[in-house]
Amino acid sequence: MGGTGAASSTGADAAYTNPALLSLVHRNVLTLGLTGAVFNLHADGTGLPGRVSVLPARAYVVGAEVPIPFGGMLKDRVAVGMVFYTPTDALLRGSILYPETPEFPLLADRAQSLAIRIGTGVDLGYGLRAGVGFAALAELVGSIDVINTAGNVGANVDDQLIATYAPTIGLAYDLPFDRAPDGSPRWRIGATWRGTLEATFAVNVDASKLSTLNLPVFNIAGVAQYDPSELSLEVAHQRDGWTFAAGFTWKHWSAYPGVFEPTILCPAGTDCAALTPPVIAYSDTLVPRAGAEKVFALPRHTSVRARAGFFLEPTPVPGSLPSSQAYNQSTQGLVDVPTRFFDTTRYVFSLGAGVDLGDYGPFTVDVWAQYHVLAPTTVSTCAGGQCAPDPGPAKLSGNVLAYGLLAGVRF
Amino acid sequence: MRERERAAEARRPQRGERSSFSLSALPPRPLRLCGFSFSLSLALLWSSGARANPLDAFGFGSRQTAMGGAVAADVSDFSAGYYNPAGLAKAQGFELSVGYFRADHFLYMNGKNSNVDPVKGMVGGAVVPGKVYNLPFAIGVGFHIPDDRLTRVRALAQDEPRWELYDNRNQRLWFGVNAAISPFPWLQLGGGVTFMAATLATLDISGYLDLLTPTDSSLRHEVNADLKMVAYPDFGARIEVSKDLALAVVYRGQFSLDLNVAANVLAGVGLGRSGSLTTLALGLQTDTIDSFLPQQVVVGGSWKLGETVHANLDLTWVNWGAYVPPVTRINTQLNVPPPQGGWPAGIAPPTTPAPTVVLPIEIHNQVVPHVGVEWRALSRRTWQGFVRGGYEFDKSPISAQTGSTNYVDRDRHAVSAGLGVRLIHPATVLPGDVRLDVHGQLSVLPTETTLKADASDLVGDYTAGGHIWNLGFTATVGF
Repeated sequence: MGGTGAASSTGADAAYTNPALLSLVHRNVLTLGLTGAVFNLHADGTGLPGRVSVLPARAYVVGAEVPIPFGGMLKDRVAVGMVFYTPTDALLRGSILYPETPEFPLLADRAQSLAIRIGTGVDLGYGLRAGVGFAALAELVGSIDVINTAGNVGANVDDQLIATYAPTIGLAYDLPFDRAPDGSPRWRIGATWRGTLEATFAVNVDASKLSTLNLPVFNIAGVAQYDPSELSLEVAHQRDGWTFAAGFTWKHWSAYPGVFEPTILCPAGTDCAALTPPVIAYSDTLVPRAGAEKVFALPRHTSVRARAGFFLEPTPVPGSLPSSQAYNQSTQGLVDVPTRFFDTTRYVFSLGAGVDLGDYGPFTVDVWAQYHVLAPTTVSTCAGGQCAPDPGPAKLSGNVLAYGLLAGVRF
Repeated sequence: MRERERAAEARRPQRGERSSFSLSALPPRPLRLCGFSFSLSLALLWSSGARANPLDAFGFGSRQTAMGGAVAADVSDFSAGYYNPAGLAKAQGFELSVGYFRADHFLYMNGKNSNVDPVKGMVGGAVVPGKVYNLPFAIGVGFHIPDDRLTRVRALAQDEPRWELYDNRNQRLWFGVNAAISPFPWLQLGGGVTFMAATLATLDISGYLDLLTPTDSSLRHEVNADLKMVAYPDFGARIEVSKDLALAVVYRGQFSLDLNVAANVLAGVGLGRSGSLTTLALGLQTDTIDSFLPQQVVVGGSWKLGETVHANLDLTWVNWGAYVPPVTRINTQLNVPPPQGGWPAGIAPPTTPAPTVVLPIEIHNQVVPHVGVEWRALSRRTWQGFVRGGYEFDKSPISAQTGSTNYVDRDRHAVSAGLGVRLIHPATVLPGDVRLDVHGQLSVLPTETTLKADASDLVGDYTAGGHIWNLGFTATVGF
């Protein structure tokens, strides 16, 4: 449904889209699924490869929705939901490449990250629902110290995975007009705020005792994964088996610090000649979304659902990227190199279908697919610098196909 | 003598209420201590040893810890995901649990405190029972989240004395998801996976290296790092032999936290800004295996000794023989051609050092006995009170460190006790019950002296021993 859900989710996915809607859950459901994505990304121009190599993404999805059986005034009003997205290849992939290496980091690597979202929703009455939740990631920090004992080299290693969390807060309100004959609401508005989720990679490598050379401590660090804070607003309407949803999401990309950190940290209070990474001016984005679902009721409480949607994902990356610096061994000096941190606006179309076996068994099956079209874009990659040879503009294009299969069991 | 220790580890806890075998469901019955005593004696005849992760060492939940971790046949709450997933199928209603524990080490070497970090953090989880095709079915989620970090990989030189099973192995997250079904009223089957993450990273560094003022070096880096999912299985079965006796068998898979980092430096090397004298190509590969968790098999039983008392016994076989010590294997390649005209004065030509040879550790499989008793001391219409006790004996699986390695360990006697209160239907909004349990556990590691075979050993003979305090609570809301 085009990534809508802030006013229309009805299951465990509400832990992400709007935890307030978890209060609509009244049965235990466990969901298992597989999702994947294949990338066809192109960067054409001087020194560019054409097709940019990106590994396909595959992941398991586990979801659970559980009503909490309070009594009294809280009866049938509270539920929790959990969604785990676990890539098959890596829980978290940190790919921080040299700036001149062509890559689409906001698109490809973001599919290679574990996502854990847990939320709870409460029906406050009068059509008002509220929910809170959080998302979690892990970041790696530590050190590797080479030790040298009488000519034999070893290492002391101390690395830690530290959890990072981002809150999610959601509200939903059933509008009091245009009710269905049974009194159920036909119009609902929803709002969700998701906090920034950031995972860094920071390992200090101290090889100064390896040999007689006076090696510095290497600060190998960067932002491995980043989700900006977001605000989603949406309105949903239900009538005659149809559900329509439309809204937008504001993403605070301008707070993104970028992936790079300097390799050598200057001593506190001093200025040194260490290289500093390029600074890219990211901009906030506004994502419009729309989706629709039709439920076809069949005998014995079975049903078939068909879904479709669309959203437009603008790129936060500017069309003019600043140059980066590198050391050129042949000239024995610093040179400007292009920054090829690519991204484009995407048009995303989605389709899906689901079956509920009703009285035949406590199972549901859903399938979906998304097709992302990368808007053809031209970017300059050496703004403010003197790259040699001049890389010229980079022409970006491509598409992405994402898909998934989910099976649920009520118990 | 160098020192730097920390540690912690080895045991288990519990809780387990709603099981049909729990005290709240126990009918009157005379005590049958003879059978229990026999089992205890039998268990103590076996050698033992198992401190494989924070839950093995300090338990999972206050009821379970207070009962010495002997709950494989007597658990149905969130901790069943660790002790016996099959127990989840005995849950009577939705439950949410949360708690906290802290274990402080007072471990000494040669009279000096080894300063082993405490193990502390939240524990908790949820059990969601239901029915599939009319068969009892449940899923459970359990977690232990340390206060300071999710995991820590720490590897020291093999000759550096450290409390091998306590130093760092317990500094890690535990997160398990399990499911269980009861195909017959007398049989429960369960299983699931516990998740962790290993790290693979390649770091490439390039640019110009200023040997005169290293911080003025013009270097940059790129990183390709993956946190790889490590999932190890566990499964169990529980059989209700009679109304008074339940048996259990549990398997827990092997696991380790791996950290493999390759750092490659390719740079020009010079003095100041005068330009490169030569080039440096350095390859540094470090491979570390930490927090190794050997596979385990648990056989347990729970006996009803009367209307208000039951006793449990678990025997845990631990495959310590497969243990890999957390010593980093390092491989270096250093290639620095001599500059034209030779090395400047004051800089000695670098050479590639030989890697330290990692010596094997001598460690043996062990069987660990756990015993526990629970007494429902008070029973009123609206609440019940429980008293619990337990004991566990972990014989050290590590052979005496008479050579150049110093993986320090000692036998461990863990005595535990706890109290619990259960409030029955305490409020309209809480149709089930609310339970609060507290525990205390004292682990004593008798002080012994290790004599080195070589009188010129750099570390020398040492005396080591101490104790560990573990305190905590768990609160559960049942529906």
